[in-house]
Order: sequence, then C-alpha cells, then structure tokens
Amino acid sequence: MMKTAKTFSVIAAAAFVSTVQFASSGALADEYAMGPDINQPLAALGNPPIAADNPMSAEKAELGKLLFFDPRIGGDASTACSTCHEPKQGWAFSDGFSRGYPGTVHWRNSQTVVNAAFNPKLFWVGSASSLEKQAKAAAKGGVAGNGEDDMMEARLAFIPEYVTRFKKVFGTEWPLIKDVWRAIATFEQTLIHNNTPVDLYLAGDKGALDEQQLRGMKLFKGKANCIECHNGALATDQKYYNLGVPAPERWDEDGLAQITFRFEQYAKGNTQEQYRKIKDDGGLYYRTKEKSDFGKFRTAPLRYLKYTAPYMHSGVFWDLREVVEFYNNGGGTNIFTDGSFAKTKTPLLKPLGMSDAEMDDLVAFLEAYSGPEIEMSPPKLPPYKALPPVASN
Amino acid sequence: MRLKVPTRTASNIALVAVLSGSFFFSASVAPTQAAEFGSVKPQKFDAKKAELGKRLFYDKRLSGDAAISCASCHDPKMGFANNLPLAKAYPGSDGFRNAPTLINTVTRAAWFHDGRIGTNLNDVTRESITESWMMNMDMRIMQERLKQDPVYVKMFKDAGYGEPSNGSVRKAIPEFMKTLTSRGAPFDTGKMSKSAKRGFALFKGKAACASCHTGATFSDSQPHNTGVPENPDIWSDPMRHHTFVAYAMFMGVENYMNIRRDVGAHVRTHKADGTDIGKFMTPTLRELKYTGPYMHNGMIKTLPDVVAFYNNGGGKDPNKAKSLKKLGLSKSEQGDLVAFLEALTGDPLTGPDFVWPGNINTNYEPIANWRNVPN
Repeated sequence: MMKTAKTFSVIAAAAFVSTVQFASSGALADEYAMGPDINQPLAALGNPPIAADNPMSAEKAELGKLLFFDPRIGGDASTACSTCHEPKQGWAFSDGFSRGYPGTVHWRNSQTVVNAAFNPKLFWVGSASSLEKQAKAAAKGGVAGNGEDDMMEARLAFIPEYVTRFKKVFGTEWPLIKDVWRAIATFEQTLIHNNTPVDLYLAGDKGALDEQQLRGMKLFKGKANCIECHNGALATDQKYYNLGVPAPERWDEDGLAQITFRFEQYAKGNTQEQYRKIKDDGGLYYRTKEKSDFGKFRTAPLRYLKYTAPYMHSGVFWDLREVVEFYNNGGGTNIFTDGSFAKTKTPLLKPLGMSDAEMDDLVAFLEAYSGPEIEMSPPKLPPYKALPPVASN
Repeated sequence: MRLKVPTRTASNIALVAVLSGSFFFSASVAPTQAAEFGSVKPQKFDAKKAELGKRLFYDKRLSGDAAISCASCHDPKMGFANNLPLAKAYPGSDGFRNAPTLINTVTRAAWFHDGRIGTNLNDVTRESITESWMMNMDMRIMQERLKQDPVYVKMFKDAGYGEPSNGSVRKAIPEFMKTLTSRGAPFDTGKMSKSAKRGFALFKGKAACASCHTGATFSDSQPHNTGVPENPDIWSDPMRHHTFVAYAMFMGVENYMNIRRDVGAHVRTHKADGTDIGKFMTPTLRELKYTGPYMHNGMIKTLPDVVAFYNNGGGKDPNKAKSLKKLGLSKSEQGDLVAFLEALTGDPLTGPDFVWPGNINTNYEPIANWRNVPN
C-alpha cells in the first residue's frame, strides 16, 4: 500500500520525528538488542550530498541526462549508461548479470542508479569513491562501455548542442571527457527516491504503513535482525559481508559468462594459482587482497527494490520472498564459506525461525521501501555535424 | 634476377637515364646507395603458427564487439587491402586512411601510412587490435575468448605456444603475414611486355620513381611529402573527422581541433616548424592491380592517374619534396610506366593457403564440468 502525496517538508523533519517515534515506541531497544556494533536507527531519507567541487545546477543535470542516455559515450556507440541502467528496469538491468558490452556479458548484477548519489562508494565492492569515478569506470570497462577517453571526447566536439552546453556549464571551448563524468554525476543526483511509505512513516505519517508492513518492520528490527546491517537512513551500514550467496549457475552453462569470469580474475590481479582455482566472485578481496575479504560484498540499500529484481551481487534471487527465505535459512554456502577457498561467512547470519506469515510480513515491509516508479523517457539525442572547413595550420 | 640501381641523388638519376638503354646495370656505377630490385624472397615460416595466425586473422572475435576481423579491411580479394578510398573503422567511428596491403608487410621497416610503429609486426598487431578506432579490443578479454574455443586451444598447443595468450596472438598473426609474399608477377617471371620493359627503364630513369620506390617491394620505407590532395570526405564527415581527432589527440598533435589535413609522419617526428607535416610512407608497388584506389587517402583512383600525378610533379604542398618535378613524359611513356607497374602484380593470394576456408564458429560453448576443472 502506497501513499502518493509527499512533500519535502515532511521528509525534512524525518530525523527529528523518527527519534521521537522510536523513543516512544520502544523500538530503539530492539535495535540495540542484537549485534556487536551500534546500529544507526532507520530514518527517512533526505537529500544526497553534493560535492563542493561539482555543484548542482539544472543545466548540468540536463546535460548529464543527455550523456547518460547517449551511446556515443562508449566504444562502438551502441552502449549508453542507460543500456545497463534502464529506467524501465529499475534504472538497473533485469537479468542476473548485467547485459554488458556487445560480444560480452557482465559478471555482476547491475545496481540501480536511483539513490546512488547517497552512497559514499560505488560498485558492489565499493571500488569507486564517487559518482564521477563510477561513471568513468563503467564507460571504459571492457565488459561495460568499452569506451576510450580520446575517442569519446572527440565525438562530443562534433555534436554542436554538446559544444554549446559544455561551454555554458563548464566554460570550456570544447567538451572535455572529465566533465562528462561530472555532468552524469549531477544528473544521477537528481534520481532520488526518498518518498517511500517507509520514509513517510519515519517522518511521522503513522498511516503510511499498514498493519502487515508494521509487523514486517518489527521483524526487521527484531527477530530477523536485518537492521544489524541494513540500518540508518539508507538502510545500509556500507560494510562488506559474505552471506554465502550461492554462485550463479550461469557460469556452469554459458560460455560467454565463463569468458568474462576468467577475464575478471585476470584483470583484477589474482595470482596464477587463484586464477586457476577460483570459481566464484571473490568480491572485496579484489580491492584489498586480504584473504579475509573473499566473497564479501557491500550491504545493499533497500529503496527501489520493487523495481530492481533480481537481487544480490550476482542476481541469483528473483523475488524478495526468495531473499527473505535465504536469510531465514541463515544465508547460504559458497566456496568462501565452506573453506574450499576461504571461510569468511559472517557470523551474524543464523537461521531465523520465521514462519511463512512472518516472512510475508517482512517482504511487505521491504516493498514499502519503494514508492512510485521514477519514469523517464530517453531524450532525443543531438546529432553530429561537420565542423567548419577552416584550416588554421 | 638481381638488378642494382644507383639512386637517391639527382645526378645519379640522370646517370641512370643515360645508361638505361641496357636492362642491366653495373654496381660499379656510383653506387652511393645501391638499391636492389628483384623478387620478394619467400619467408621461412612455421606452418602451424602461420595456420593459427590465419584463423585469428579472419576471426571477428578479435575485435571489442566481435563485429570485425583483420580481414574486414584487409580483404584477400583486394590484395589484403581494400577498394574503399578510406577504410572503414571500428563501429561507431569511420576511417580516415586507405587500408594498405599486407602483402610483403614483413619486409617493411615501419608500419602504417605515417610509419608510427617502427619496431616489428608484434607491435603492429597489438596496435591494430587494441586501437579504439581499429578493433578496440581489451586483449585480456580476447585471450579468454580464445581459451573458450577448443579449436584454438588445440591450435595454440600444436603450434608450441601452450595455452592461448595475448603474446602468442601477437606472434602468430605476424607468422601468417610471412606467408603473404608476392609471387608470379611478370616482373619476377621474366615475362614482361615490351611496353612494361620500357616502363621499367623510365621508372629507373626519366621518371625517377626509383629514387623512393626501391628494393624488392619498391619502397624505401621512408616518409615523403608528394602533395597528395586532402580527401575532403574526412573533413566533411563527422564520423571520419572525429576519428582523426581522437588519433591526433592520442598522438600528441598540437591544435588538433583546428587541423584540416592529415599530418602523416609528423606524429613520429613532431617537428616544431611543421615541415614534416604531410609526409607519408612510400608504399610498396607490388600488387597494385588489386589494391586501388591509391595513396594514403585513396584520392587517386587509377594507375594512369597516379602516373599523371607524378608526371605533373606531384601535388601542391609547401612541404612537398623538392625532388618532385614535372617529368615531361609523353602519353606513350606514361602508358609504358603503367604497364610496368601492372607487371609488379603477381598471383592473387586468395586460395586456402591464405584464406580461412569456411566460416569460423564464433559461438562459445560452455566448458563442461566448469566448477571442477581449472580455469
């Protein structure tokens, strides 16, 4: 059940109201009852941080929107940001693995761009420290955009509307590739989903959640202990865990997926021995090269979930009920839990003993983290035009 | 047949002209820089490595989006060149130069029309596969693609390379290039027409072609500015022009947004005074019947037109080589020169030794029992 009327002023009051609400309802006691660290209380989501070196402007966001949808920001001019972050697919991609560059398939699930602006780090193991760096890495990655800086920048110089817009926004004679990432980041900062039933409820609208959703929230904070990791306004602690998500079967069945799997092992600087042996996504290990980080992925935010199936870093779960059942079983097993490669499964996961009805309640609460879909039609892209035939040499 | 011809200096060329009544020349005639004409020597090559290189050459999976192979631009039916004035490029871009023949490419001292790679074909292979407007391939992905194809796994092993790897691709394709040597041209078989023989004399003499077109492949492997007109299609077509700009950016060319000409070998030497702008590598004259149109930008369609261009002293350019002067060749002499150039074209390299027979299966079968076998 969703409300449609939301105002910013309601949300802005969120932190204050939610504190009052928890204190009065006793929910805080539930939150702090379990787990070794102090979990931030759930809270309504405000507005994303805007880096001082890339300030928000309407013109920049509009330019970033064009670029986000423009496949000329990519290798063969077929693959835009929106190709794998498609508005109609939750600003993500509705398959286990993201689509990937033509001739390839990706190896991880495409994450939604909605609310990405709130994340201090991007990608499943936090390998990009800003939206700008994420955009650049994705546009250039061999199984994503496969674009090359000089080529992408050169193309923009032949699109007069871009030349005009970049000059206005960034003050440069010609579009620069670094400003492409800045404009895309600014556009992404406008894809905000902070008007969900959960947000409204936490902001003080007691009618925003129905009885079932409220039961789900109680489980979330209590018996199911989701809040151990999914806490705070974003419903993520921004930490990394191995849950024992099973390895996707696609690697057993699809030659193209096997190719990308090996490429990633090679590209991420594994040892020869690891390259030969590994049969699942090593996750945070690729960043830290600490064996204790094998199989760990960042706690995912929970907003917009309704539109972003399938779930988990490898997209192995196709609906939220499956996800909840996974946790009810205490997570799963993979080569990083059973000791065959590592043994890093988080001890926080234990069988939860929830009934079918309780799991339904929890799913209902998770669904209440999604409000109205953010719809957007692809913009009409500006055409190429020849430059004047002047010769200055 | 081995012919030694003194070349390079105007006085030598004049001397050659005097002596050109005879088919043979003595090496004792002021051989300041004797150049040997003659047949292109067959290269020794490893048959298994070359066979592997051949399959790679025709395999579209060597490009980023698996849309084009080496052969897409270097077509065996067109002398491993292309009859488009300006070659195609990787999808999303379009080309700004004519695709040069790969026949005899192993004999070159520097590659590409601008000569920007002067090391070896290993580097040329890498450049061609990875460059954004050519094949735009991350070779790490390419390597894993090859490992997925059991045919390659066997071929690499049989060739002595072990498992498929980037490095071996960069060796195997040059090995295949060794098989692409000219053979059977009338010039080599001694079956030149009288007209062609007269043309050869002009070539070495009055027309002074031999001052640059030397050796068995008729190229000095040096860049020269002959004043070939710009191809306007580069500058009027944003798809081509942006590709050129990307190239110029990467090569460190100054003022690249305002340039409306192909700078050529300037990317090698970067002379501050710009006198190296517009120089291009002397092309081979072998296999010309298959490889038109001509020049680095395909601006001259036929061999008679090429000869007429040089007869007129080349084109207009402030940096044009001073050695180019009007030649005063009669129509008949120009015809003889064309006949000679045509006599440098040999057997087409279009048989199964040079072309991968049938289609290459570009699907990727899954590796069975994946979880239990090493990657």
